[in-house]
Amino acid sequence: MTTTLRRVTTIRASRGWLDLDLRAVWQNHELLWQLVVRELKLRYKQAALGVAWAILQPLFTVLVFTVIFGIFARFPSGGMPYSVFALTGVLPWTYFSEAVRRSATGLVTNSELVRKVYFPRLVIPLAGVGSPLADFGFGLVLLLAVMAWHGVAPTWSLLTLPFWMLATLALALALGLWLGPLNVRYRDIMHTLPFITQVWMFATPIAYPLSMIPHKWRALYSLNPMVGIIEGFRWSLVGTARPDMGAVAIALVLITVSLVAGLIYFRRMERSFADVI
Amino acid sequence: MSRSAAVEVDGLSKRYVLGATSRRYDSLRERLTDVPRWLLGRRHETEMQQTFWALRDVRFSINQGENVGIIGLNGAGKSTLLKILSRITDPTSGSARIEGRVGALLEVGTGFHAELTGRENVYLYGSILGMRKSEITRKFAAIVEFAGLAQFIDTPVKRYSSGMYVRLAFAVAAHLDPDILLLDEVLAVGDLAFQRKCLDHAKELQKRDATILFVSHNMFSIKTMCERVIYLRGGRIEHDGPVEGGIELYEKDCRMSALTWVGTKPQEWPIFMTGSELLDERGAPRRLFDFGEKMTLRLAYDTRTPVESPNFIVCILRSDGLPVCNYSTEVDGLDLGRVSGPGSIEVDLPPIRLVAEMYSISVLIRAKGFQEILCGQTAGMFHVRHPLFDTHFGVFHETPQWRVAGAKFARLANDRGCIRAAD
Repeated sequence: MTTTLRRVTTIRASRGWLDLDLRAVWQNHELLWQLVVRELKLRYKQAALGVAWAILQPLFTVLVFTVIFGIFARFPSGGMPYSVFALTGVLPWTYFSEAVRRSATGLVTNSELVRKVYFPRLVIPLAGVGSPLADFGFGLVLLLAVMAWHGVAPTWSLLTLPFWMLATLALALALGLWLGPLNVRYRDIMHTLPFITQVWMFATPIAYPLSMIPHKWRALYSLNPMVGIIEGFRWSLVGTARPDMGAVAIALVLITVSLVAGLIYFRRMERSFADVI
Repeated sequence: MSRSAAVEVDGLSKRYVLGATSRRYDSLRERLTDVPRWLLGRRHETEMQQTFWALRDVRFSINQGENVGIIGLNGAGKSTLLKILSRITDPTSGSARIEGRVGALLEVGTGFHAELTGRENVYLYGSILGMRKSEITRKFAAIVEFAGLAQFIDTPVKRYSSGMYVRLAFAVAAHLDPDILLLDEVLAVGDLAFQRKCLDHAKELQKRDATILFVSHNMFSIKTMCERVIYLRGGRIEHDGPVEGGIELYEKDCRMSALTWVGTKPQEWPIFMTGSELLDERGAPRRLFDFGEKMTLRLAYDTRTPVESPNFIVCILRSDGLPVCNYSTEVDGLDLGRVSGPGSIEVDLPPIRLVAEMYSISVLIRAKGFQEILCGQTAGMFHVRHPLFDTHFGVFHETPQWRVAGAKFARLANDRGCIRAAD
C-alpha cells in the first residue's frame, strides 16, 4: 500500500454549517475525470456520426437563427455577418444550458451510485459542468471555420476567453448546486428546467444584440448574469463592443454569492440524499 | 501483541421518517399547499409522521484483523449499519470511528454502465470505489484474470451474461486492498465456484490483517469466515460474541418466523406453526444430511379459530431462493378434517437426491382447495453433503442406467450423416 499512515474517518450525526470538505473532492479528482470521460463516451457511442454531433447541433441552431432572425427579421448584428454573431452567442449558451441540466439532474440519473456507494456528492454536479466543455471546444473549431469563411479575424481580446468560460461554468455550477438537491426531493425541477432555460435564452442577447433593448430597461435586463457574460464572450471572440462593466460586475457578484450559498446548501442536503432519492 | 480498534461504534442510531419520505417524494405542489399552514406555525406533519428506528444505540468495537459476521432477520438493521459505516447515509445520533481505508461492497456493479466496455468499466468502477488510476492500471491484469474474462474485456458489458457482470464487478472490488472490508450479502450472487473464489480471497485479506464486516444469511459462510458474530434484532444488538451463540439465536428466530410476503398479520392468523423439527431415519433431530438420505419433518401447530381441512404445504428452497420441491397434504391425499387446538403432523420426505448445498424449508397453510393463505412461516434449514455433486450438476442427481449398445446404430447414424462434428 502506498499510504503508511492510516486514514481515520469519523462518522457523526451532524457536521458543521461551514464544513465544506473540499479536500475530499480534490482527493476524488480522478473519479471526477472518469465520470466526465464516461459522459463523453456515452454521448457519442453508437451514434453513426459520433463527435460530429457536437458541431452539427450548434450549426443547425445557427442556421435556423440566421434564416429567421438574420434574413427574415433583419436583426442588427453589430456590423458583422449575422451567422458569426449568432454563433458567438449560441455556443456559450449551449454550454451553459447543458451544464445546468447535467449538474441539476446528475444526482437523480446516478441514483444507483448515490444509494450504494460513498463518494463526495459534489463530484456529480462538477462532472455535470465539466463534460459539456468538450462540446464547447468542438464548437470553437466550428466558429473559427465560419469566421475564416466570412473573413473575420480574432483580436487580442481572445485572451480573455478563459475568464468568460470560468464565469459561465461557475454560474452553471451554482445553479446545479441549488437545483440538484431540490430535484432529489421534487422531480418537478427536471420537468420545468427545459422550459426555464428556453425563456432565459430569449431574455439574453443571443439571437439579437443588446442594443435592441431600450435604455430604460437596461438596468433591469442586466440583472440577468448571462447578459454581461454573453457580451463578454462576443467581445472576446470577435472583438465587438467591450461589454458593459456594470453588467459584468453584477454578474460576478451574483455568481459568487450564489456559488458559495449553493455549496453550503448542497453540503447541508447531501447527507439525506441516499435516504430520499 | 497490542491491537488498536479498527472500528469503534458508539451509540449509533438511525431513524427513518416513514410518512415524510414518501410525502417529499411526491411533488412540490403538496409542499406549496402546506406553506400557509406552516407559516401559521401549525406543522401538522409532525402528527402524521411515523418514525421507525432502523438502528438503536448500537455500540461495539472491532479490532484490527478481526472478522465479524453481522446476522439477523430481514429488517434487523444490518444493511443500515453497513450503510452508515460506509458513509452512504448519516446516523441520526451517535458516532463511529474507523481507522484505515474502507472498502464497501454493498451491491456489486452499481457503478457499471451497460454501454461501456469491460475495460472502461473496470476503470470507472475502480475509481468509484476509491482507487487511483495508476493503482487500477497496476492491478488490471490481476483483475481480469480473477474475473476470467480476458477475451471479453473489450466488449460492452451490456452483452455480458449476469454471471460475467458480477464476476467482473467483484474482481474490481476484491482488488481494492482495503484495511476494512464491508460486505453485504454480495457473495450470494454468482455461481458457487466463484463464491468459493471470493471466500478464498477474503481469507487472503484476512491473512494480511484486514478487518472484515460481513453481512450474510448464509450461516455456512459465516461459520467459515468469522470468529465473532453480532446478532441484531429490531435495530439493537442481541448478541456480540462467539459464532455459535449468535447462530443459535438466529436459527431460533428464524425457525418459525413469518414469511414477509404473506400479506396478513401473523397475530390474526387462524392457524399457525409453533415448532418444527427435522429428523433422520432413526428419529434423531439433525441439520446435516448425506446425499439421498431420508428425512422426516415434524410440525406443531395451534389454532385461534377452528379450521376446516387445512392444506399444509412444505416447500424446500435452495439457498439462492430457488424452489426445489413442494409437498401438499391436499395433493398427496391427507385430509385433516376439522382442526382446532394444538396438534402436530409429520411428513416422511422421500430420499430426494438434492445436490450438496444449503436448503431452507417454508411451510404454508392454505384453506381447503388451495384457497387463501392462512399462514406462512419458515421451518429452519438443512445442509446436504456430497463429495462430488454440487450445483454444477444441477438441482438433484438420480443415478441413470448406462449400457454399451450394439454397433448397428453407429453405422446407421454414420450412413445418414447425422454427425458432422468430425468434418
